[in-house]
Amino acid sequence: MMALTVNGTQHRLEVAPETPLLWVLRDQLGLGGSKFGCGAGLCGACSVHVDGAVVRSCQMAVGDIGERAVVTIEAVQEQPGIADIAAAVVAAWVQAGVPQCGYCQPGFVMATIGSIATDRSQSREAVLGQLSNICRCGSYDAVREAVGITLDRLRHDAP
Amino acid sequence: MTKLARRAFLISASVLGGGLLVGAGATAIGLQRIAAFEVPLDGGRAGFGAWLRVAADGVFEVMVPHQEMGQGIHTLAMMVAAEVLHLPLSAVRAVAAPDAAVFANPVMLLDGLPMDFHDDGLLHGATVWTLDKLLRLLGLQGTGGSSSTRNIEPAIRRCAAVALDMLRRAAAAEFGVDEAQVSAQNGVMTASNGRAARYGELAAAAGLLRPRNVDLPPLTAGRLIGRAVTRPDARPKATGVARFGIDTRLDGQLYAAIRHAPRLGGRPQTARLGPTVLGVRQIVSGADYVAVIATTFAAALAGLDGAEIVWDDRAASNLSTGDVEAAYRAALDQGPTYARRWVIEQAGASARVGGRAVTARYKAPFLAHTTMEPINATALVERAQVTVWAGHQSLSLAKLIAARAAGVAPEAVEVRTPYLGGGFGRRADLHYIRKAVEIAMAVRGTPVQTIWTRAEDLRDDVYRPAAMADVSATLGDDGMPTSLTYRIAVPSVTDQFTARAMPAAKGGLLADRSAVDGAVFSPYQLANRSIEHFSVDLGIPVGFWRSVGHSLGGFFFETFIDELAYAAGVAPLVFRARLLAAAPSATSDRAEVLLQRLASWDMANRLPIVAAGSVIGRGVALSECFHSLVAQIAEVEVTGSAIRVRRVHAVVDCGCAIDPANTIAQVRGGIHYGLSAALYGRIDFENGAIVQSNFHDYRALTLADAPEISVELVNSNAPIGGVGEIGTPGIAPAVGNAIFAATGQRRRSLPFTL
Ligand code: FES
Ligand code: FES
Repeated sequence: MMALTVNGTQHRLEVAPETPLLWVLRDQLGLGGSKFGCGAGLCGACSVHVDGAVVRSCQMAVGDIGERAVVTIEAVQEQPGIADIAAAVVAAWVQAGVPQCGYCQPGFVMATIGSIATDRSQSREAVLGQLSNICRCGSYDAVREAVGITLDRLRHDAP
Repeated sequence: MTKLARRAFLISASVLGGGLLVGAGATAIGLQRIAAFEVPLDGGRAGFGAWLRVAADGVFEVMVPHQEMGQGIHTLAMMVAAEVLHLPLSAVRAVAAPDAAVFANPVMLLDGLPMDFHDDGLLHGATVWTLDKLLRLLGLQGTGGSSSTRNIEPAIRRCAAVALDMLRRAAAAEFGVDEAQVSAQNGVMTASNGRAARYGELAAAAGLLRPRNVDLPPLTAGRLIGRAVTRPDARPKATGVARFGIDTRLDGQLYAAIRHAPRLGGRPQTARLGPTVLGVRQIVSGADYVAVIATTFAAALAGLDGAEIVWDDRAASNLSTGDVEAAYRAALDQGPTYARRWVIEQAGASARVGGRAVTARYKAPFLAHTTMEPINATALVERAQVTVWAGHQSLSLAKLIAARAAGVAPEAVEVRTPYLGGGFGRRADLHYIRKAVEIAMAVRGTPVQTIWTRAEDLRDDVYRPAAMADVSATLGDDGMPTSLTYRIAVPSVTDQFTARAMPAAKGGLLADRSAVDGAVFSPYQLANRSIEHFSVDLGIPVGFWRSVGHSLGGFFFETFIDELAYAAGVAPLVFRARLLAAAPSATSDRAEVLLQRLASWDMANRLPIVAAGSVIGRGVALSECFHSLVAQIAEVEVTGSAIRVRRVHAVVDCGCAIDPANTIAQVRGGIHYGLSAALYGRIDFENGAIVQSNFHDYRALTLADAPEISVELVNSNAPIGGVGEIGTPGIAPAVGNAIFAATGQRRRSLPFTL
């Protein structure tokens, strides 16, 4: 039995410790928002936050997580400290019409939230420079626009 | 509503419909078509023919027989219905259409036939009309060929107009006024005497009325059409709520991991489970694969990794990429030793017209699709029933293939279609559904989800074929071409697809237009053209890949046109405009507008100064495909051997952009897809085994190297064209032509290297 904290809830799981976090989320915890794209850390479709850092969950063995807190797309908008960023990113994504097929999008959104959270005063280019997710539908122009909208909104709303 | 009353719609509509169709073109939609089928009410309030019904909650549901794979067809169908019905978008919902002949897609099939769609003669019109009828009878539902909107938009528009008329008449009767005194707005019918009712309240009564002929509202910009709307699927997709095939979760569901023979044509000889893995149930062998079934996918994968599998390679292919190239070269060099599937020779083409000759040989590699959602399908096989949950591009074929695999009738198969995490033609080839059903048959009564890892997704793909082409022309004294010969060696995708999907059907009877697309019908209408296709098929599986033959022909032909421009000493844009002007037509007029816009953009946006050691240049390409036109210009910076595409500007004429934001997104997406291929894409084989296995060696663009793409829309009001694939064909030639402009080096082979 292994303990794992996901989205604020502690789970006890029967799972081999080398199992990638992605499959535990998807198959055992019913959290389907994190997607399988390459299984090799190359595409970012499986991005989650582990203690606030953006992590490609297909590359993290569940046994290596320990006490650290995992946050997935399903609960990121309720996370203290980043809830406003998450809401702003999602709103900008909808406004800019980023998703096409949509499959890469939860991972893209998680990576963007995590990147902005490291420093809210970053430039748009600095945020974009941290995003290496693959989108086969080619939504990159819209991603650039959405990141700009997000940063504008966050700055406008800043106290 | 009673069955009897609903039948009244069908019968009266079909009587009316006969008259309506007189003199109508192939795409005109009579009442006959919308009333040929009554959509099940499913507890709703009323149905209006095949395409519309009012659900119990009062929302208008529009039937969409096309899969949502990113192209936005759900939203487009909703927009058209809402526009005509004077409803807000929120009062309309898209619903997957049932499997009925009325929802067939003859548009996609028509586009594949070897006919020149530029022909506007009466005979051609009559032929298309007849073929449309015949193909409709096939009842094949399919999503592809950039045809979804073209296929269903007229029927939805017609159906919504008829429904609105029925609602208005129901309101008039209810309010005791003349129809003319009832106006429709925002989902409410209001009478001149001040009485008003919501559509939902009138729906049941309206549904009982006899439908009648009403004028078809034109497809022009309105409240919704032509404006940017928020796609209803944007938020669920951005928040991870949207469900794809791979997200299917059923009670007691098991998972399977699949592994294919490393070499094409290989078969499993023996397959045994290795050391015990928690959760692993069993191992299954198929014709060219082994699969392990387990309680989680991770366990299935671990079980597969530990399994002892011996492959029987006696019938395996030993082909390597070089062998394919050699066969193409032989076909082109030695002439028609292979089947000639397509020959168009216009007067005088074979007898070369004198003058200066320009010749070039081009080649392009095999390509994989790498849809973002790896291939997967979930199947439940019960005694007399098979249920499949999977993304696919054809409901009809999905049912057929699942039925064949399980040995049941197609009627015993139910297919549920979640969102597709990308299609690009990959999900038109449904052998993955066959395999998922075969695997699920090992544990009847239990649903099994089979997932292809990325390596398997690449290995089990049907590739965009590699091809080689010789293009030559003679130039007159004025530098303009006097004759052109285009010869391409490439397998026939259509023949292979037909053989796989419908083994009983006789493939190869017709010329395969997709093999010569991009060259055979072009807006230039050059005189003295000769076009030949040498079908060289060495058995590597090939399939539809975004823009299909245009992805090859677009590169070969538009690069050659550029070479001709330089040979003539004329600027590439000017040269193309002269070619268009030499043979004016409605299409060339539209194309000229695009070139003018491109020239304006080029003038207004000066070439940036680059650092010492780098050079920069721009290249253009003009494409006509899927009944739309695209002109694009790429700006490329070259530093040593590094090629960087800095930005792309595209001007598009698709007749009418129903949802302009979506049109722009599709064109950008098509360009990015083609650019990944032009810069990085190649699939190789060594001794019958695929070389590439994941995004590290089959790269895709990311933000860092994706150029900014600006798109300008021209609404010419020509008949509506497709948009999903139209950005793809022109980007490789535009980039190659820009590399030439920057460096003086002509690159005739993809992907580009310097
Ligand atoms: S699935 Fe994890 S990075 Fe691609
Ligand atoms: S939206 Fe389809 S892969 Fe990104």
